[in-house]
Amino acid sequence: MGCGKSNAFPYGELIWTHRKGGSTIFKFFAHRQNPLLWIYSSQVKLLDKMEFSVMSFLSNALDWVRVAFDVPFARAVVFGVHIGGHLVVEALLVIVILFLLLQKSYKLPQRPLSETEIDELCEDWVPDSLIPPLTEGIKYEPPILDSAAGPHAIINGKDVVNFASANYLGLIGHEKLHESCTAALEKYGLGSCGPRGFYGTIDVHLDCEERIAKFLGTPDSILYSYGISTMFSAIPAFCKKGDIIVADEGVHWGIQNGLYLSKSTIVYFKHNDMESLENALEKITRENKRATKLRRYIVVEAIYQNSGQIAPLNMIVKLKENYRFRVLLDESNSFGVLGDSGRGLSEHYGVPVEKIDIITAAMGYALATDGGFCTGSVRVVDHQRLSSSGYVFSASLPPYLASAAITAIDVLEENPHLVTKLKQNIALLVEGLSDVPGLSVASNPQSPIVFLRLKHTTYSFKNDLQLLEDIANLMLKEDSVFVVASKRIVKESCSFGAVRLHLTGYFLIVIAFCPAAGSSSVLQLLP
Amino acid sequence: MGKLYVNAVPPPDLNKNTEWFMYPGVWTTYILILFFSWLMVLSVFGCTPGMAWTIVNLGHFIVTYHFFHWKKGTPFAEDQGIYNRLTWWEQVDNGKQLTRNRKFLTVVPVVLYLIASHTTDYQHPMLFLNTLAAFVLVVAKFPNMHRVRIFGINADQ
Repeated sequence: MGCGKSNAFPYGELIWTHRKGGSTIFKFFAHRQNPLLWIYSSQVKLLDKMEFSVMSFLSNALDWVRVAFDVPFARAVVFGVHIGGHLVVEALLVIVILFLLLQKSYKLPQRPLSETEIDELCEDWVPDSLIPPLTEGIKYEPPILDSAAGPHAIINGKDVVNFASANYLGLIGHEKLHESCTAALEKYGLGSCGPRGFYGTIDVHLDCEERIAKFLGTPDSILYSYGISTMFSAIPAFCKKGDIIVADEGVHWGIQNGLYLSKSTIVYFKHNDMESLENALEKITRENKRATKLRRYIVVEAIYQNSGQIAPLNMIVKLKENYRFRVLLDESNSFGVLGDSGRGLSEHYGVPVEKIDIITAAMGYALATDGGFCTGSVRVVDHQRLSSSGYVFSASLPPYLASAAITAIDVLEENPHLVTKLKQNIALLVEGLSDVPGLSVASNPQSPIVFLRLKHTTYSFKNDLQLLEDIANLMLKEDSVFVVASKRIVKESCSFGAVRLHLTGYFLIVIAFCPAAGSSSVLQLLP
Repeated sequence: MGKLYVNAVPPPDLNKNTEWFMYPGVWTTYILILFFSWLMVLSVFGCTPGMAWTIVNLGHFIVTYHFFHWKKGTPFAEDQGIYNRLTWWEQVDNGKQLTRNRKFLTVVPVVLYLIASHTTDYQHPMLFLNTLAAFVLVVAKFPNMHRVRIFGINADQ
């Protein structure tokens, strides 16, 4: 039925449909266009009558209710408002409140799962693999050392020069360390049997803490049982949710983990770029009015384990004092290396050690033992004794390692020429390596970890890595020199979202060290 | 044999974030704060009492909505993040429903609404805003809305 037609011949068409008992829509149109058609039907008349009676009844009732309300409250005025008509709404709300107050309190039920539901869940469950599937590129068989990782090591039955261990001072296998380890083992046994706060403290721990503090010239220090856990316990002990941490984007995995665990707001600045650091500090203090009320930290490494760069401490201290931040410095790779007597970065730059608020370091590198320490003011150290998870909740450092650390520091202090010799060796190594065709030195010339980069990259990480590994293998096979190519975790969840572009290249790593007494330079060791 | 061990009753609320609401005098303080803020609004803006109640009601809505129903977690690290997905309201009384504290907190916006709309004589803009505020606050406090995020508002990523 076209509407156009009904417009053209309104009456004829519609009356026709109506007669034939057409659809309601057309009845409606008919009604609208010619009301008389409908009104004069007898049924409608009847309805009208009923409707009228109902309406009159309703209006009567309403009148009655209104009168009932209005009579007592007609002149009632509360807070200058005539409350006449409000009463209904307000009574309703009061009823709602009373209803609410009369409800019984209950705990939300925690319905136990039924047998079938448990079965279903078990059937549906597909465990995620703990590691990504191994591809050809990931498979890697590292050379296996058959001896201690000293200056010389035995790989596949062959004596090689080990340039792959962070044995900077050549203390691995040092006679005095061996003696002190043996003595401690005989006296205390192997383990310490408990956390520091729970029967695990032994006199050598306290001696070691005192020795480290005395050596570095700080008021106090605290020992941790494991090198990496020093950073990722000390950082969350001080930095909490809401605090601001400005960190270098090249910090190593332990620090990245600490930053992640602290739940603080983390701002990364460009690797070892003081301008970028200043911009970050400026931006934070200027943009965030609340910044002055928050705890603010700068987290840097003295010698970056992932790039061999040295942090310019003098600049950092200046900026920290300007913008009022605290500095957390990781000295793992610089302790026993930088400075005239091996006291680390502060000695290297002639900055008083008190200017650095928190210093952490692992003792697995230059000191050739294990564990780590954190040092700073008495309050900084004392705070950690109850709030640093790695200190409170893990068994303390085995006593023989603590006594080895004491001896190692003694050796270092008695023989400052070790550091001098290490420096000469680094210089020699860097000089020798800078002429190598095809490779260029990418690290700071004073860093004991020398990073060599391909001069002509193949523009493919995989091929670069393959090439570097081939070089390392060849050196091991033909020249009996053990060096390694850098490794990287590419899986997103392992790197805390900090896969940074300029650091993602691969390097050949050569670690300088100071060979045991007798031979004067690294190169003498070479065949 | 005497009693060898003390029968310790576990404290009703171990959550530092909500524990303070169990202190005596919190309800009184809450009501007094509302009343004094009404006086403040009255004296600062010099508006009618009804307008002042509306402003107090809306302010109460904004503040409590943000702190009770929007912000999740606690400012304390000791709880190891077990409350990270719960708003303050969902943490109160360990999630027990219709407790005295919860009833009190539900009644407050209704009473505020009553006062505010009554004193503005149910006039249009105020009535609408007051109703909206009371409605949102009361609906958010329903036991059925416990851990429910309608339309994914304020839901976890």
